[in-house]
Amino acid sequence: MVESEAPLVMAKDMAKKYGDFIALHPLNVEVHSGEFFGVFGPNGAGKSTFIKLLTGQLRPSKGQIEVLGVDAVRDPQKVKANIGIVPESESPPSFLTPTEFLEFVARLRRVEEIESKVEHWLDWFGLDEKRDTMCKDLSKGQRQKVMLAAAFIHKPKLLFLDEPFANLDPIYQRKCRQWLLDHVKDGGTIFLCSHVLEMAERMCNRMAIINDGRVLAAGTVKGLKQDQNETLEDVFIRLVGRSIEDLESDKASQESEEDSEEE
Amino acid sequence: MSLPGATIVSRDWNDVAEGTASTGSMGTSAQGQILHEPLRGWASFSATFLVMFKEEGRKSIEFAKKRQIVLFPLLLTLITALTTVGLQFLVGDSSAQVADIEQKTFTWGELRFALHLPLLMFSLGMGTFAFIGHDAIVHRAGTKNYLLAAPALQPLPNSVAHFAYFIKDLCFYVMLILSPVIAGMALGILLETVNGVNTPLEWSSLPWTWLAMIITLGQGLAVAFLGSSLWMRGRPFTIFGPIAIVVFGVAVGLGEIGLDGVLWGLYVQSNQTPLVAAAALGGCVAIGLVASALIIDDFDVSVVQREEMFVPIYNKLGFLGDGEIRLIVAKEFVDLFRSGSIKKMTVSYAVPLLVLLGMAWLVDFAEAPIPINLLSYAPFLGFFGFNFYSWLTILDSPEFMNGLPLRVPQLIRAKVIVYFLATSWISLIFIVLMAWQLDEWTSLPTSIIVMFANSIYIVALTAFLMGLRPNKAIFDASIMIWFWIGTVLPLLGLFLLSFTQGDVSLYGNWWERASQDGLAATATMYDQSMVEQGYKGMLAISVCLLFASALLWKLMDRRWGKAEFSN
Repeated sequence: MVESEAPLVMAKDMAKKYGDFIALHPLNVEVHSGEFFGVFGPNGAGKSTFIKLLTGQLRPSKGQIEVLGVDAVRDPQKVKANIGIVPESESPPSFLTPTEFLEFVARLRRVEEIESKVEHWLDWFGLDEKRDTMCKDLSKGQRQKVMLAAAFIHKPKLLFLDEPFANLDPIYQRKCRQWLLDHVKDGGTIFLCSHVLEMAERMCNRMAIINDGRVLAAGTVKGLKQDQNETLEDVFIRLVGRSIEDLESDKASQESEEDSEEE
Repeated sequence: MSLPGATIVSRDWNDVAEGTASTGSMGTSAQGQILHEPLRGWASFSATFLVMFKEEGRKSIEFAKKRQIVLFPLLLTLITALTTVGLQFLVGDSSAQVADIEQKTFTWGELRFALHLPLLMFSLGMGTFAFIGHDAIVHRAGTKNYLLAAPALQPLPNSVAHFAYFIKDLCFYVMLILSPVIAGMALGILLETVNGVNTPLEWSSLPWTWLAMIITLGQGLAVAFLGSSLWMRGRPFTIFGPIAIVVFGVAVGLGEIGLDGVLWGLYVQSNQTPLVAAAALGGCVAIGLVASALIIDDFDVSVVQREEMFVPIYNKLGFLGDGEIRLIVAKEFVDLFRSGSIKKMTVSYAVPLLVLLGMAWLVDFAEAPIPINLLSYAPFLGFFGFNFYSWLTILDSPEFMNGLPLRVPQLIRAKVIVYFLATSWISLIFIVLMAWQLDEWTSLPTSIIVMFANSIYIVALTAFLMGLRPNKAIFDASIMIWFWIGTVLPLLGLFLLSFTQGDVSLYGNWWERASQDGLAATATMYDQSMVEQGYKGMLAISVCLLFASALLWKLMDRRWGKAEFSN
């Protein structure tokens, strides 16, 4: 990666609040071309909110976001048109077949030679036999494959993946992993959110660990480890565990303050 | 912390200024990648519309089988054909009638009104696309996902997706409802030549009737779409919108605003001017466009912490015993409040009643051509039950219940109870206010019995026939036949019997004309014994409806006992 290159993704003081609940504290982030950047954290840490803000699916409560030179708050459609998104839990439309859904997405994304591209990705994901089955009748893993194919079909240089392999079998996990690594080698950039730490070790060249909507640590996988014997799981528990202890002690001190006020 | 390459750092909430306004380019670049502009306008509409149309067809077929989907338009055609033949007994200026047009009969104008008004009401109920779109977005991570939620991920403006949905629904209703109705009219005219049956309807009026009905349907869908879009924008629309509707409804009822301005289709059918028809159709599309332009690209699914609501509600439902039903009813009420649907549903239930009340306040119905009285409103209220129950079934996906020791009939029963608890107080207040307004206190106890019997019966029948998927049953002929027989016949009976409390010369005229065709013997005239018989008849029907409701309640297990939880 060239240091002087302008980043592809940049957010300044990006934050999200729902009522009184802060889902994501203000954060600044930059991701450069050719990076495989992973954000890891426990359930409910704010990972999906993070990715939805960067991809224009959510409006931030504070801050600015720019992706590929496009203001993601002002023109989220243009951001979506030029990136690929794999959501965590969304399925393809229930009453369309995989073929129809991919054709629809390809048309919206101005893909050329739609038929051959659709054929290619159906074949790549082993969905040939299910091509005319409505998505509601597919298994979870098959629906996930359709969502992955929909994100890959226009070959975007920048991909945002939220728990992309959650329902895939080990064969397709490996196949997708390899495709994503090749994609980065070819100049692509990937922003990934997950709680599966194995993915960080196998794929990411940089990572961040977040919890309770805050960044706890960031760096290379190696850099986050205190010593050679420490596993990434140890790092995760060390950081997140401490963070939970901090939260509990904050809560306890708040409660004791309230008690003393009442007295 | 700062890293070479990717950097990421958190800050405290209070250290950062409010606002999301851009202060110029932040310095990112596409690194030589040629950026595509997202599809807009016609291109994105056409890419979406056809796929949505296909999706709608599959959604309808999923519940009903293909055969039933075909049967539904056939059923409509048949009913309309019979109605077309029967027109000769209703119209005041046809050759089949007596010459005395002073007698109370329907004019063509009144019949056209009777065609367009229910169609407008139906389309107003079906056109709240902003609510439907919001539900699709909120539930997109659930077990079912629809194209209407596609803008969240794809480069498709939410407004275009909603507009495509509006046009798709309009086309679908034209195809499955309006066109079969016109085909039925054509069949009725054909029967005239084959069997010597008389109908005053002429071939030349069919294209205009079809076009006029499309305009009324489009108008209702577009207006409801606009209303829901404004409602989704929050205050002040959520306050002034319902008030404006009530004022408008009352003004129409009083004749301050002409029917031509309200029912565009009726105006088009009466005038038959191509330019006016084109303008009216264009107006519907324009309202739809404005409504869709009001839809914003907001895909937020609120993550808000709430105070415990389930146990307090559960505790208040002690009268339901300690069984599963009480638990489910409590859960349904939590859904109703948390989803915000309670406001929408209460407003949409109360607004038409307020319009009627406003009209009653300002108009003496005794002067009306049809002798409407307090007892006429009571069965009318029952019809609202279908919509309310339908909404209750789409509040939340029930599929998680498949893993719990519960059965579908229990959930259905719980929804019927929720409907009754949530709406009965509105109906009761309405009927009492109406009694006060019309000064018909003596009819009040009977009206209350008739009203509750109807409400319970309609919802019990809807629930029994359609289970957890009433919205998808609408095109299922086998269900709709039973629904029609089960609702229209008893309710029409009650409605007509209610007129025995007023001027019954209308019946007299019908019987007289029917007797001339050899179908009946003598005319019936107004007297006191008929008033008493009418009262008794209404009470008897109401008691029968209550028994029927109890029977349906029992039979729920047989019909839905083995079904899986799915909506």
